[in-house]
Amino acid sequence: MDFIPQYVFNGLVVGCSYALIAVGLTAIFGLMEIANFAHGQFYMLGAYFSYWLTRIVGLDFWTGLVASIVGVMLLGVILERTLFRLLRGASLSSSVLATIALSIFLENLALNVWGPRPQKILSPFETGSIEFLGIFTTPERLLMLFVTVLIVILLHLGLRHTQTGKAIRATFQQREAAALVGIDIDRLYTLTFAIGAGLAALAGVLLGTIFVVQPSMGGIATLKAFVVVTLGGISSFAGGIAGGLVLGLAESFGAIIAPAYKDAVGFILVMLVLLYKPDGLFGKKWS
Amino acid sequence: MVMKGTARLSVAIPLGLLGLVLLVLPRLIGTDYYLHVAIVSLVFVILATSLDLLVGYSGLLSLGHTAFFAFGAYAAALLYLHFGVPLWGTMFASGAFAAVIAWLLGLLVLNVRGHRFVITTVIFAEIGRLIAYNWTDLTNGQIGLPGIRPPVLDIPGLLHIDFGVRSAYYYLALAVAAVSVSIIWRVTHSPVGWRMLALRENERLAEASGVDTRQIATTAFVSSAFFAGLAGALYAHYTGFVSPDLFYFTYTTTMLIMVFLGGKGTIIGPVIGAVLFTILPEALRVAANYRLMIFSLILLLLVVFAPEGLVGLFNRLRLRFTGRKKTANA
Repeated sequence: MDFIPQYVFNGLVVGCSYALIAVGLTAIFGLMEIANFAHGQFYMLGAYFSYWLTRIVGLDFWTGLVASIVGVMLLGVILERTLFRLLRGASLSSSVLATIALSIFLENLALNVWGPRPQKILSPFETGSIEFLGIFTTPERLLMLFVTVLIVILLHLGLRHTQTGKAIRATFQQREAAALVGIDIDRLYTLTFAIGAGLAALAGVLLGTIFVVQPSMGGIATLKAFVVVTLGGISSFAGGIAGGLVLGLAESFGAIIAPAYKDAVGFILVMLVLLYKPDGLFGKKWS
Repeated sequence: MVMKGTARLSVAIPLGLLGLVLLVLPRLIGTDYYLHVAIVSLVFVILATSLDLLVGYSGLLSLGHTAFFAFGAYAAALLYLHFGVPLWGTMFASGAFAAVIAWLLGLLVLNVRGHRFVITTVIFAEIGRLIAYNWTDLTNGQIGLPGIRPPVLDIPGLLHIDFGVRSAYYYLALAVAAVSVSIIWRVTHSPVGWRMLALRENERLAEASGVDTRQIATTAFVSSAFFAGLAGALYAHYTGFVSPDLFYFTYTTTMLIMVFLGGKGTIIGPVIGAVLFTILPEALRVAANYRLMIFSLILLLLVVFAPEGLVGLFNRLRLRFTGRKKTANA
């Protein structure tokens, strides 16, 4: 039974990355009512930008991290201003298909630019493994945990106490009413989209130091993020975080029972949640 | 009466001509390679029209259609390899197998609509792939199951057709596709089809008008799965090989592109879309690395700028043409 803390810890680390990706997806869905099937590609591009900037261009890890996030955010802004503006108010099938097309495009772009071979982002840390309380870990994993906690606190404070955060919450509840009281909806959409894309990119860079970077990682991430979002309750900020952690833990323990079906654990969870609690485990409030 | 007669004739003549061309096609194109493209496009004709039943008519955007295709293909492979059942049997067994799975899945996923339905159907296909990949005792895992033979029709002293010959298999696929498409056409132009349209347009209103929407959604889901499973058997006996790759999302996207390219909710549109979109990738073989990028761009442009597809475009042009004529007469 002493292996249990280890599994909990590993599950939490992976769950953190799921949460980071899912938060952006939730925000975009809640605000713009677009299920963005290309969201995982921001995660993939974040990882590749960082790989390219550190390994090929030769920047150090931290500069590369910031630059890749900024790069992906810029791409997000461009896409939001063009494609997603065209899709605003479009039918569900149109927006789903268009974003699927975008995701295929971005994945194959990455495949053509960087090739199919898995790559790795060099870690900024010298130390190998660390042990505390009988749990083995690496500094990269601790960084993942630390950054996620920090982001969650920042997002929470930002949504609660800043003017923009309040505007986002208002728009989330009642778009027309928010526009009536003078909230600039277009600006909020762009901002939300950029932050969502940036968080996915951040997850990509951090996970790229732990696992490998390859073009197909985006599609899987999108699927996982949708699992998380469905688990947590679509368009719920706290649900996105909690759903991410739940999925990470469930997969970690699923791996003990049936390693081959590790990825199926989350999928089956979602099916059950949809059956018994269609609104997700954590309701549907934005706070 | 005269009007109706000419209207019938104006449909019958092009249809007859098309039938004639399809029948003599093997003589026209000769080479095995083009026949191969033709057979594959016929399989996709069944897949695209059956998906249209769901996406176009009932408004249920399923992203897991390829799972039914793959389950059908696996059912055919296993029945053939273990019990020697020929295509005549596996075709219906595969369709029925896919339909049962769809019915069971429908109990669960037809509770939800919109994005939740979309997401669960993707997840379903992924679960299917994991099963095919990991249940190695049954499915042989990633290696797949080879050795599924086409049937031989042998009535002693009367006729002997070996469908292993490509042109023979072409006629077989043509017959199956023609029957499938006409059944789907009949369904969509029956009261059941009207109820599907009602479900698509406004589910609450449909329910208020006495349509059992749950039942209609189930009908659409199960029957579209049946034809996808049948197409799976047709495909498995043709290529002789099944693998977990059949569950890949790429297949679903291909089918969706076909439906949207041709024009969703028209049946004839997806038929055209399926043929065009099997030929196009073959034509683009030179640009192999950029193929998927080109496809995705096509899909993107289609969805954003021409959501009614080629059939819609054609109708719009025709309406403009005939509309002008009328004003000229007046």
